[in-house]
Amino acid sequence: MRQPDGSSTFLTTRVETMLRWVRKNSLWPLPFGTACCAIEFMSVVSSHYDLARFGAEVVRFSPRQADLMIVAGTITDKMAPALKRIYDQMAEPKYVISMGACACTGGFYRAYHVVQGIDEFIPVDVYVPGCPPTPEALMHGVLKLQEMIQNGETHYDRLKNRNDDAAATAG
Amino acid sequence: MTASRTETTMLPQPQVDLLPKEGVVAVEHGVDGHTVLTVEREHLLDVLKSLKETPGLDCNLLADICGVDYPERDARFDVVYHLGSLEHGHRFRVKVPVTEDDATVPSAYGLWKAADWFEREAYDMFGIRFDGHPNLKRILTHEAFHGHALRKDYDPSQRWLLTEENLMTPKWSTGEQKNDDHLDTQVLNLGPSHPATHGTLRTVARLDGEYITEAECEIGYLHRCFEKMSETHGWEQVIPYTDRLNYCSSMINGVGYALTVENLLGVEVPPRAQVVRVILSEFSRIMDHAVCLGANLVDLGALTNFWYFFQIREEIYGLLESCAGGRLTVSYARIGGLAHDVPLDFEEHVRSLLARIPKFIDDVDKLVTTNKIFRDRTEDVGTISGEEALAWGWTGPCLRASGIPYDVRKAYPYSGYEQYDFDVPVASTGDTYARYLVRMEEMRQSLRIIEQAIDNLPPGPVITDDHHVALPPKEKVYTEMESLIWHFKLIFDGIKVPAGEAYGFTEGANGELGYYIVSDGTGHPYRIKVRPPCFAIYQAFPHMLEGSLVPDAIAILGSLNIIAGELDR
Amino acid sequence: MKDVSTVNVDRGRIPLSEQIYLGPIVRGLTVTLRHFMRNLFGHKDVATIEYPEVKRQYSERLRGRHILTTRDDGSLRCVACYMCATACPAQCIRIVAEENPDAPVSAEKRPKVYEIDLLHCVFCGFCVDACPEEAIIMSRQHEMAFSSRAEAIVGIDELRQKGPIDQEDLGYRPYF
Repeated sequence: MRQPDGSSTFLTTRVETMLRWVRKNSLWPLPFGTACCAIEFMSVVSSHYDLARFGAEVVRFSPRQADLMIVAGTITDKMAPALKRIYDQMAEPKYVISMGACACTGGFYRAYHVVQGIDEFIPVDVYVPGCPPTPEALMHGVLKLQEMIQNGETHYDRLKNRNDDAAATAG
Repeated sequence: MTASRTETTMLPQPQVDLLPKEGVVAVEHGVDGHTVLTVEREHLLDVLKSLKETPGLDCNLLADICGVDYPERDARFDVVYHLGSLEHGHRFRVKVPVTEDDATVPSAYGLWKAADWFEREAYDMFGIRFDGHPNLKRILTHEAFHGHALRKDYDPSQRWLLTEENLMTPKWSTGEQKNDDHLDTQVLNLGPSHPATHGTLRTVARLDGEYITEAECEIGYLHRCFEKMSETHGWEQVIPYTDRLNYCSSMINGVGYALTVENLLGVEVPPRAQVVRVILSEFSRIMDHAVCLGANLVDLGALTNFWYFFQIREEIYGLLESCAGGRLTVSYARIGGLAHDVPLDFEEHVRSLLARIPKFIDDVDKLVTTNKIFRDRTEDVGTISGEEALAWGWTGPCLRASGIPYDVRKAYPYSGYEQYDFDVPVASTGDTYARYLVRMEEMRQSLRIIEQAIDNLPPGPVITDDHHVALPPKEKVYTEMESLIWHFKLIFDGIKVPAGEAYGFTEGANGELGYYIVSDGTGHPYRIKVRPPCFAIYQAFPHMLEGSLVPDAIAILGSLNIIAGELDR
Repeated sequence: MKDVSTVNVDRGRIPLSEQIYLGPIVRGLTVTLRHFMRNLFGHKDVATIEYPEVKRQYSERLRGRHILTTRDDGSLRCVACYMCATACPAQCIRIVAEENPDAPVSAEKRPKVYEIDLLHCVFCGFCVDACPEEAIIMSRQHEMAFSSRAEAIVGIDELRQKGPIDQEDLGYRPYF
């Protein structure tokens, strides 16, 4: 919604801010849990930590109904096509948190069957270190993502700006 | 009490005159108490058959099949079978050398169904072919994979990329099929990312209406190459990897690994370390059962129980964190003992947990056990007889739910389990409900063990003072030259485990967790094969599905407690 | 099989009181209602921790982000002996050593580069166990999140202890 000169009107920026506020407080996670991190993810959504307090309690396994993919666990070469397809099926705007060493970099599995970081094939907004990260660390990651959404720093925002710019120059 | 794993070296021995003679090249006595038979390939099936069927030998459990690669030998591969008899308690290791050019052995599937997936794994990892196997194809790696990963000449970091085009579907699932009424059947794909599959399991099923007529499981979606990684790391460095096998109860894995290496080394573990290992292992078992039951109940629509069970887990995490510093992946066991002593308030902490945990178990008990909706959904669902379960290689709570009271803690006590008074829960029906009941009771029995153990927690060191094995205490490293040198040598050269081999097994949360370890005397393991209990359990799953409903499949799967980290390694 | 003491957990047939759904359902509802009421009125036994405002009591041994400790004069205790890098199963520690010209013999080497890739690190604590100088210890700082992989590779400046050692949030380390 940008003007050809790159500036935005008052109204559209307000709408954008509100949209971001809405988005950040209703993140519906899709837990792509494969391994140890998935168990810690369960801890995050259960009573002690309760991710619901951040508007992210609606855990959806269907990619069409989710905004936030939490990749929790090792992704192997065998699993990679499935992960890619599920990511592609998610509707925009979509965000990705890579939880734990394995998903971020492959961790200590520098091995013949392990993807050395999911950013090989999907964009990642927040990397959470730990093996597995504590529930607090994951919640910290979610809070950081919320902040990034509010400030328009996510991969989705960058992509959208680029598309808008391209459209503006073309138009 | 003081002996660590030496009890297993005193495993019951078979009567020598009953052993098969023909085709047997050598009979040895292993350090792990196994009777080791080296057999010619031509006579393999006869030997296995007589081990299984000779009265007095009765090896009814096929624990494991694996390959070992010795590139410098003429007969490059060993195919290794681990057999056991539940009646007599003796254990066998049968080794068959084969050459690389003719790496073929007859399949043991006709004798024990358990051979099914274990043989496929040996084929996948080493390229050893099994004649007569019904479905010999890759199991852990994917279709675009070239070579055999556990051969010594395979580069550990050589990856092969899989794309969507070459995703695997079983042959039978393509093409149309009509049922007896000439109506179309349908192929349903569950997983690998499916809420009810708890991670990374994939099942392809053919449905005739609501009923499953045929099913096949695809695994390996979490194959993290534990076995290859352990060959490239030092003995001590393997411990963090073992934590991630069965990540729901990581302590048990580390203890099992440490016990096996200690057996090879001949090291004794101090009594205090043994008791702490028992306490934390039993807490881990409770955690594991809590996750299994909690998740199973969620799949059946009973969400509240999940919260109650996770509260148990959180409280046990607190204890593990105070001892080891990690919640889930503890890395607390060390070869020769434990990383460091328990904190000062350990006893108090354990006692407060002992007081609190039963309340949550009772709550779930009241919510679920007598609930008719739950009973209707689980009774007579996924029934398996004890005999059949054993043929598939089942162990642990799932086998005990089918009426066979086999528990490694009772049958081959280790870490001093023989001095604790506890009962083995068994049920006779072998259905999903029985598996639920057995797990519930096991949690209570584990609490009993912990209660006795904490009452008798001896003082003393928690790690052996043999500095060929364990790092010297820090204060000595800082001040004494000799300790510094030991420290230096251990870090840079690693522990030197004498050449040899051992199969150590403990009671994991899912059953018999075995480690078959081959050492060549260097600072690295030569080969580690894990015998994951749920690998054997899960291979029966497609066969249990035939004739059942899709929702039943979910209930059955949850009750088997398949942990992908352990299944795929 | 040798005789083991077993306990049979079979339930047998469903008694009539349980056939008619009602009994067990009432019993179940009592349990949940008890939890609800107790948390609402009685002694509050709410499990939820109001993170990030409230934090639970972490263990003294929690394995979090690493700290490179310093001597009294502010120089790193590390002597670049590579023991931590050797013990690390994830190979996430990168050290480049250099000579320290004006140091005593006991510390004539020091790290020029000391980097830990926190995204490869599995926080097993083996580096701490391996260090003969108590130069690397762990803090309880475990809440981290990065927006790029490069950001997660931390060097001497980020890892060095900030103030006096007793003011750090100390986690896994020798002696407790």
